[in-house]
Amino acid sequence: MTLFTVARRGLFVSVLATATLAASGLAQADATLDKIEQRHRLAVGVVLSGGPFGAIDPATREPIGFSVDLARDLARQLGVAVDLVAVQPANRVQFLQQGKVDLLIANMEWTPERDKLLGHVPTPFYRVGGTAALAKDSPIKTWAELKGQPVCTSQGSSYTQALVDLGADLKAFKTSAESLLALRGNSCVAAVHDATLINPLLAKGGEWSGYRALAPELNPAPSVIWTRRGESDTQQRLDPFVKQWHRSGWLIEREQANHITPASPALVELRAKLQGEGA
Amino acid sequence: MSTVLHGLVGQLGQVGLDYSFLFDAYASSKLLEGALTTVWLCLFSMVGSLLVGMVLAAALTSGRYWLAWPARAFVEVTRNTPTLVQLYCAFLVLNMLINQSLGNANPMTPFAWVVLVISLHKGAFHAEALRAGIEAVPAVTLEAASSLALSRRQQLLQVQLPLALRFALPALVNNLIDLVKMTAVASAIAVNDITYASIMIWTQGDNVIELMILILAFYGLLSFGVNCMGRVLEARLRMPGYGH
Repeated sequence: MTLFTVARRGLFVSVLATATLAASGLAQADATLDKIEQRHRLAVGVVLSGGPFGAIDPATREPIGFSVDLARDLARQLGVAVDLVAVQPANRVQFLQQGKVDLLIANMEWTPERDKLLGHVPTPFYRVGGTAALAKDSPIKTWAELKGQPVCTSQGSSYTQALVDLGADLKAFKTSAESLLALRGNSCVAAVHDATLINPLLAKGGEWSGYRALAPELNPAPSVIWTRRGESDTQQRLDPFVKQWHRSGWLIEREQANHITPASPALVELRAKLQGEGA
Repeated sequence: MSTVLHGLVGQLGQVGLDYSFLFDAYASSKLLEGALTTVWLCLFSMVGSLLVGMVLAAALTSGRYWLAWPARAFVEVTRNTPTLVQLYCAFLVLNMLINQSLGNANPMTPFAWVVLVISLHKGAFHAEALRAGIEAVPAVTLEAASSLALSRRQQLLQVQLPLALRFALPALVNNLIDLVKMTAVASAIAVNDITYASIMIWTQGDNVIELMILILAFYGLLSFGVNCMGRVLEARLRMPGYGH
């Protein structure tokens, strides 16, 4: 064996080693996880349209709410700073796909259509269904009776397909605020949004005392943390955090702290299930 | 037609633009309906805004204080506030008040509100363009008209406005092109125009870019059509030896 071949073999080995290292480096983290760790910042898209899930505190001008608590805790556990980006139902998917945010915790439930576009952290953190706010004296008692009736909702709502299937005459406004105003202006017979948005409003009474909610919930679906498609490393990294949130009862505590009523039975179920699986 | 469309979609598919949703019966009927609504919105608000503009311009140049002053106030308020805010104010506030007092007898649909708001908004701009035209009519022409014993109304309708229209035409066409693009605000109050139809489709799927390009092309064509009509009208109304 000549010196030359030895050197060549050495070179080959080192190239191979570098290649494997690089490959393992790639396998270590997908683009988003790399980006988060390099910048030491986590950009999370949240909906701050008011209500217990996300709002701006009128006193401090800081974002508050259930989604905001989750985003802050994820960043804390990752040891990075958090950038909260206000998104709207109509543009949140674009914010995520264009990389303006790393994750969405944006009142966005799992649906088969969204599952084709995006990826998500496997364990859901909540479960939300839709409900309709109706005038107390409205004759409508079931979802099927909404057929052919003007129904307000927001653009990008999770219930669009379900309402189209029901045969409702859908009127989708820019945000839920305009949709609810339109309901009060009698432009539609019902406004369909997340139960977590409608129920606290109706419970508050006041200007909403003339309205009631329609049961049972429409299309209850798990709320998940959305990532871009195929970012399995980010998902795997975050999944234990979500599981721990359930096991420790932290989510139930946050639900109470943010005054989300009625309390979600899904949180209790998920807690029992995950505690059963054991840590 | 259908084979041409299939071919075109195939070609676009090769450059990474997926227009296959055009073959989906639901999406394509939504888009067609939206396109038609946009065309109707344009036609109604064009006629409406021109009428409003004419009345306002007549009031502005009437020389009567009690007519000119309210018209001036209206033009200033309307010109200086955003159309979207006016539309929200009209539909979410005024409409609610009308509903509360009339109940279900409220004749105003969201479509009618959009036509009304755009007509009033663009009418204010038309009024200024027409005023410029009216004031550009030479004083000697008016003196000649009054020497022929034409009344003030006859002077306005038969001498001043026909001339003013010719002076103002380029500015009016400019306003009308802006009006075509302005109809997109209808989507904010859930009027099923082409923008709304596209939003409804892209919030359910992954075709924002394709739909954006499609509606840009649609608005572009529509504005271009208005532009061409304006040019034809300018050529038609041209008076030999007068300004050209």
